[in-house]
Amino acid sequence: MFNRETWIEIAHTVTANPLRTALTGLSVGLGIFILVVMQGLGFGLQNGVEQDFGDEARNTVWVRTGTTTLPFRGRQPNRRVQMRNEDEQRITEQVVDAPAWSGRRMMWGSTVGYKSEQGNYPIVGVEPDFDDLELLPLRGGRWLHADDLAKESKVCVVGENLLEELFKRDEAIGAFVTLNGITFRVVGHFSKNGRWGNSMVYVPLTTMQRVFNGSDEVDQMVLSTGDLDLEGSTAMVGAVDADLRLRHSVHPDDQRAVRVRDNQEEFAMFERIFVGIRLFIWIIGGFTLLAGAIGVANIMAIVVKERTVEIGVRKALGATSGSILSLIVIEAISLTLISGALGLIAGVATLNVAAPYAQHDYFTNPEVNLRVTITALVVLVVAGAISGFVPALRAVRIRPIEALRYE
Amino acid sequence: MGPNLDLDVVGMGASRKGNSGPYLRGMLALSGIEKAYPLAGGSLPVLKGIDLNIEQGEMVAIMGSSGSGKSTLLNVLGLLDGFDSGGYDLDGVNMAGLSEKQAARYRSQFLGFVFQSFNLISFKTALENVALPLFYQKVPRRERQRRAMEMLGKMGMDDRADHLPSELSGGQKQRVAIARALITSPRVILADEPTGALDSTTSHEVMEVLREVNATGITVIIVTHEADIAAQCDRTIRLHDGVIIEDGKSGEVVEPTAHGARSQD
Repeated sequence: MFNRETWIEIAHTVTANPLRTALTGLSVGLGIFILVVMQGLGFGLQNGVEQDFGDEARNTVWVRTGTTTLPFRGRQPNRRVQMRNEDEQRITEQVVDAPAWSGRRMMWGSTVGYKSEQGNYPIVGVEPDFDDLELLPLRGGRWLHADDLAKESKVCVVGENLLEELFKRDEAIGAFVTLNGITFRVVGHFSKNGRWGNSMVYVPLTTMQRVFNGSDEVDQMVLSTGDLDLEGSTAMVGAVDADLRLRHSVHPDDQRAVRVRDNQEEFAMFERIFVGIRLFIWIIGGFTLLAGAIGVANIMAIVVKERTVEIGVRKALGATSGSILSLIVIEAISLTLISGALGLIAGVATLNVAAPYAQHDYFTNPEVNLRVTITALVVLVVAGAISGFVPALRAVRIRPIEALRYE
Repeated sequence: MGPNLDLDVVGMGASRKGNSGPYLRGMLALSGIEKAYPLAGGSLPVLKGIDLNIEQGEMVAIMGSSGSGKSTLLNVLGLLDGFDSGGYDLDGVNMAGLSEKQAARYRSQFLGFVFQSFNLISFKTALENVALPLFYQKVPRRERQRRAMEMLGKMGMDDRADHLPSELSGGQKQRVAIARALITSPRVILADEPTGALDSTTSHEVMEVLREVNATGITVIIVTHEADIAAQCDRTIRLHDGVIIEDGKSGEVVEPTAHGARSQD
């Protein structure tokens, strides 16, 4: 059945009808191509969002304050709500039992200088637990210690963009830099993803408050939820939110004055969205495959119909029904397999070529699930085989003379 | 260029023309063959009890008006179509109830077909068309091509080996079709109106080829409605309304019952 002669015969019939072959191939190849590209887009979106989340530990609660929008207890709106060290201390000691936490203070567009080099980078004041709350993979040196905060040391940890832009080939660890004109010693450097990630300069929160502001203000607070499940983290969010609203006299419905974001809940929400996207891709992919299979079935039905007289001739010349059936089925399988593989290659190539131009915070690395794609290809090949088999069986079952007289 | 046939008939020498040999009932023996085509609300009888013996090496014309059953008879003889009742022995073997695979094997080993519309496969060259029956006999490719080229040479068509059917004239197509029918060294050639689509000159050439084929000992059965074609055969059978009404040497009228009895002696 699968000898060289059969393949030569198949090659002959396939190449003898280039339009028919091209149409069959197109319907299969296009089906796989669309499936691959759609999968790539779906995964690209998912990877982008996951990467965005990847900067932050998923079991964290981020607390921010802003300006009030609603009057409350005799206070007018447009009042700035400012978190301070005492808020952080109270919340972590009395309100919730967080295994790790950090206050966060940010200074955008600060001037950072090294020797004759200078640039603008955000300076962020944080506490030692921060590298567990926002994932900061260290590439050299060390992270900020509790001792640095206690002593309000002028030390910093810099992102790898500064290594390239300021330090060039110099060793950064132990080097001195100026942050808004004040000298700090670099104790470590890190590398992470994200738009701003690698341009950050981290300093002890206490040092920042002392050196740059002379205040106890905190912009954000990050709390770890530890091993809490979604229900537990939601309860933590509620407790923190209620405490801040009570202490700062914020209306319970004022969404801008106090904002407590649960990463776990957001990630769960994105997970639900991605389940929907994946389902959507599967449905579209399924219909695409179905369309491809119907296309192959149609074309194979036409092919067999067109070849009915030829089938009659072949039978008159001594061909058995089995030999004709196997010829048509192998032809259908070969066509779907080759055109499906070409569609797969074209889809992967398109994603690879387009991926660098489509990079975005929420879209990255549009990969292809090969297992799914190959399964789809197998489904199409089986559909192709059945599509060839059914009409061919019908054709070979009729008497040779009827096939010869077929019009 | 005329044919130069030197064919080896399977299991026989080239000089058995007219020799009934060891076959008591003839190479092809039909008895009481009946066939009807189903129609809505009934059936249309086409063959009504055909008794017929054809010996190895005979050249027989089957004549009749349109709808007389001559083509159906040829198709039954060629195992291209079945029959409803009666008996058919090919080379002494009963053909009734053959499986599809067995019928294919008999067609491949014993029979060669020549059609009015040539029925060459359009996307295959003359050489590939001629070689095709050998593919179904599992003959290796090189051998197939060698034998096909040799057969085309005998038909004076070797210079057209690489031509597609669309690049050949009607006469050339029929020569290729005859070469294809002969490539497996069949015992019987069944030709359905082989000259029907050809002009008179080409028809004459094709008949000359078929006579040459017959001269090598191969039985040739031709369905035709042309009297001059039938006249070139040894024996003419005339059908009317599914019944043999004449059977005898071409140009003679013989009662069919008498001929049937002769072959069964």
